[in-house]
Amino acid sequence: MPSDRALQDDVIRALADAPYRATLEWRHQGLADPDRVERYARFLARHFYYERIVHFFKYSRALARVTGRAPQAIVKSPAFDALLPTLVLGSRETAGAVARVVTAHVAAGGAPVAYLADLLRYEEAMMVVEAGPRVWRDSDDEGDAGSPKGVPAGPGERYSPETVEGTVLLDLAYDLPAVLPKLLQPWTDVPQAPQRPTTLLVARSPHGRVAVARSDESVAAVIELADGKRTLEELAQGVGLQPAELRETLQGLVDLGAVRFSTGS
Amino acid sequence: MQNAELMVGAFYNPHLGRELAVATGIDHLAMADPPAANDPWWPAVSGRYTLLLHDYLGQLSEPLDERSIQRARALAELYRSPWVAEHFQCLHSEDGRYNLNYVFPPLYTEAFLDRFVRNACALKARLDQPLVMENIPGFFDVKASQMPEPTWLHRFFEATGTGFLLDLPHIWLQAHYHDMAAERWLVEFPLEHVVELHVAGVEHDDDLAGPWIAPVEPSDEMLAFAAYAVSRCPRAKAVTFDAFSPSLTAEVLFRSVERIRGAL
Repeated sequence: MPSDRALQDDVIRALADAPYRATLEWRHQGLADPDRVERYARFLARHFYYERIVHFFKYSRALARVTGRAPQAIVKSPAFDALLPTLVLGSRETAGAVARVVTAHVAAGGAPVAYLADLLRYEEAMMVVEAGPRVWRDSDDEGDAGSPKGVPAGPGERYSPETVEGTVLLDLAYDLPAVLPKLLQPWTDVPQAPQRPTTLLVARSPHGRVAVARSDESVAAVIELADGKRTLEELAQGVGLQPAELRETLQGLVDLGAVRFSTGS
Repeated sequence: MQNAELMVGAFYNPHLGRELAVATGIDHLAMADPPAANDPWWPAVSGRYTLLLHDYLGQLSEPLDERSIQRARALAELYRSPWVAEHFQCLHSEDGRYNLNYVFPPLYTEAFLDRFVRNACALKARLDQPLVMENIPGFFDVKASQMPEPTWLHRFFEATGTGFLLDLPHIWLQAHYHDMAAERWLVEFPLEHVVELHVAGVEHDDDLAGPWIAPVEPSDEMLAFAAYAVSRCPRAKAVTFDAFSPSLTAEVLFRSVERIRGAL
């Protein structure tokens, strides 16, 4: 007999996970009126993604008077309705599917904003990176041997740096960080972004907080090579950094949530 | 009947910060999110109003971890909040894999009662302000529940000594979806513990094929319901217009507070 907590989790899953909701495994339990559950699940799905679109596409929202396309409008669109039977609230796959609907909607406005394509890629990346399971409660065991919070000290340690799944490097043609704050201030003429190659690192903490930082070739190399198997020494050699420089870079990436340390193999 | 000591207020909606920084006729603002670092209106707002902590602190089906408790304490101190509010919610799975991102009630069972009592008492012991707990609307019943919501709440408040944040639209909606008169459903609840009431508008939702809470003005019916509820809550200290949305307009916010005040 499942515990009450397990039953609650099953109801939560049914509301959040449309494919699960359609299974006999869920339906045969007969825990609630299926029509009411389906209706409420759809209501929750629109609310869930409305909030995320409002937050992560806030710059496109600011440009809506130029593009004629409000990003959040898609939650009431046929394109979003078509996704409803597939949605798993909070999953990376669903975040990507919804974000693609949003970017297609905004891009179709055809507005003369030179950096709009880059902006939509950035906003889509933010929304997708945020998705996924998260830590809601810190472990009571602060000495979790599998993943230290800082860069382990000394040579020969057993921990290997590993890029956190979902961390993204964005190569952009425009320097978006230079224009984003201006978009949220009052403006008459559309704020412009300098056209220069810019790489941004987008990462998420275990608690679900998204962070963005400018990246360079060294950071990109670390992100690519940190596979949880290479030791610090091997990684330093691979990216062409001195160990002390690598440690500093790694600490920054750990703080962002982009890298963690595993016990390796 | 008007309680002269009753505060009447709203939620702080940052996009309405300019208007709220200079508004009159609003006694308090409930804070659903911490102030943004770049909010230019925060200094004026924080100096002008009584602020009520109404953020997501956690779900009390599980104990709050130390980080969450420290966050709650820090926010309560920042706001100088006279009480701290949380909800009778259980909206994410224990393993963190599924999250509804919307208030959702627990099963009304002995096991969940035990969980909420234990964890609420633990949180209450760590706060310097009273803890008040808000009721949650259920669109459907789950057959695993063992007792009606009002019974579960009665037992919770008796066991914990916490205050009750009575959300009237939540009561109204439950009554609506169970074909009951709202007043009849209301009096089942432990109104003697009510410290704060929420009042809000409802609007038709296509997915639900019926009404649900929306950032619109409360109807005359809802205001009459609020007046009736306040008359039954001898310890009530505040009534809050419960609307927090980027689509909320200043006009709706101010007119709603004015109409709530006029109805009480």
